[in-house]
Amino acid sequence: MKGLKFGGDMYVVLIYDIEVDDNGAKASRNIFKICKKYLTHVQKSVFEGDITPALLQQLKLELNKHIRENRDSVIIFKSREERWMQKEFWGKEDDKTSNFF
Amino acid sequence: MSESFYLFSDGELKRKDNVLRMTAPDGNFKDIKVNMTRDIYLFGEVSLNTKTLNYAGQLSLPIHIFNYYGFYTGSFYPKETNVSGNLLVEQVNHYTNEEQRLIIAKEFIEAASYNILRNLRYYNERERDLESSISEIKGLRNEIKRTSDIHSLMGVEGSIRKVYYNCWTSIINQEVDFEKRVKRPPDNMVNTLISFVNSLVYTSCLTEIYVTQLNPTISYLHSPGERRFSLSLDISEIFKPLISDRIIFSVLNRNMITEKDFERDSNYYYLKDGGRKKVLKEYDECLNRTIKHKELGRNVSYRHLIRLECYKLIKHLIGDKKYEGFKIWW
Amino acid sequence: MRVTGTMFYYYFVCHRKLWCFINNISLEDESENVLLGKLLDENSYGREDKQILIDETVNIDFIKDWKILHEIRKSKSIEEASLWQVKYYIYFLQQRGIPIEKGIIDYPKIRQRKDVYLEERDLDKIKEIIEDINYIAEQKKSPVVIESKICKSCAYYEFCYI
Repeated sequence: MKGLKFGGDMYVVLIYDIEVDDNGAKASRNIFKICKKYLTHVQKSVFEGDITPALLQQLKLELNKHIRENRDSVIIFKSREERWMQKEFWGKEDDKTSNFF
Repeated sequence: MSESFYLFSDGELKRKDNVLRMTAPDGNFKDIKVNMTRDIYLFGEVSLNTKTLNYAGQLSLPIHIFNYYGFYTGSFYPKETNVSGNLLVEQVNHYTNEEQRLIIAKEFIEAASYNILRNLRYYNERERDLESSISEIKGLRNEIKRTSDIHSLMGVEGSIRKVYYNCWTSIINQEVDFEKRVKRPPDNMVNTLISFVNSLVYTSCLTEIYVTQLNPTISYLHSPGERRFSLSLDISEIFKPLISDRIIFSVLNRNMITEKDFERDSNYYYLKDGGRKKVLKEYDECLNRTIKHKELGRNVSYRHLIRLECYKLIKHLIGDKKYEGFKIWW
Repeated sequence: MRVTGTMFYYYFVCHRKLWCFINNISLEDESENVLLGKLLDENSYGREDKQILIDETVNIDFIKDWKILHEIRKSKSIEEASLWQVKYYIYFLQQRGIPIEKGIIDYPKIRQRKDVYLEERDLDKIKEIIEDINYIAEQKKSPVVIESKICKSCAYYEFCYI
């Protein structure tokens, strides 16, 4: 799964909104756990990071098992590279995407 | 594409759901996105259990470990998933046959010394008078072809390095007391930096070898007993001038790293945490830098050049194409 | 050597790829395209019995009532290879007493399918290919690079052209 070649890499921001109902908590938990394998968790329901098209597709397929049509929504913002996306912090600056800890 | 994670904090590295989580003593944590991770570096005092290692193994994730002083102590090298019996036989054959071993070993030195020359030429064009060292190394390079055994080849290599290191005080703008390379333990700023960055290159080569079918313990220039993964030492030789040396020149000449970043212990002269982080940031950036590959016609990262070197070696070993070491072409 | 479906497929794609594959110099794990193909396989047909490994040799996408077998493909490129791979599957199963009637190649992305039958005259060719694959496997040296336009998207591209 590592060091995939070919197919342009990209930088994505993923946000989701899960309806709070009887199964909402479970759906939310599952979606959260899946996203964490691919992207960095930056805010409550926001993830971001580098990814390849195939891995994004894999993430989508994994999520599709838990997203409930007509209830939950996931939005992906795609950008060619991280540096082409201007990012500003208002309030607390928190460098969660760093690979240093 | 995939990423390396550098963990400096003390704490615990554990499997948490489907990720690896590093938790610091104060409760802060970092989740490592396992599907996107290539390898993990541990610099702090970290506890982990077999569950962590089993998970890392399952994910084929090498973990590189450094001690308190920032010296490399070893790697968790997961069970090989990519093995080829026939290739292993060829790898061994090329080692046991002196002549064939020498062909590969010479190519490593040819390439490494070429890259060394490139560094010297660069600085020679920037008001350092390195002309005489350059011609001396050129002379020594001519001897590579003529050597008839590994021992004398290593001798030539040693002489080239000596001339090279002698230029460092002219290349480096800061006042440094670098006279010769001292390894165990390094005794000054430059030696400490060399040891540190070289060990990083070694670990990166190891990570790349891991994903190929090459066996990391069978090497050609270094003897297989020298270190556990001696093939990694061989391949690092080629990339040290491009990666390590340039990083060292750059951090020193920009005064990013100075004497203040070091500390002297009774036995050690080592980089403090802050300095280590600065160097690692540079290192990570350097490996992600890309260059248009002239034969492949696509952009490849410096790190990927290491992988390509493994491919070339495999092709040589299976009798497909004679190995030519990587030479800086830009 | 047991000839697998993948070997049969590679035989039509590139002998060098076939040789590397047989010698376990595999680069498939690393490729975006291979991953995309795998995802397609895993997700195209809900939970029907997909991916059956028969006799530890051929891996068939799924079989309906043991009469029709399906193979899923991403695109029509190298159609001949897919065609012969399916013919080989039918042959392989018939040899083991399973009377497969036909195979179907599915292209879910373009919503097309193609029927494949094993005909009398194919038998000799299949036997010939099996022999040929064994011959390639025994070669000490790898076959040459094919320099084709399909190379660019192959998992072995860098390996071959470096």
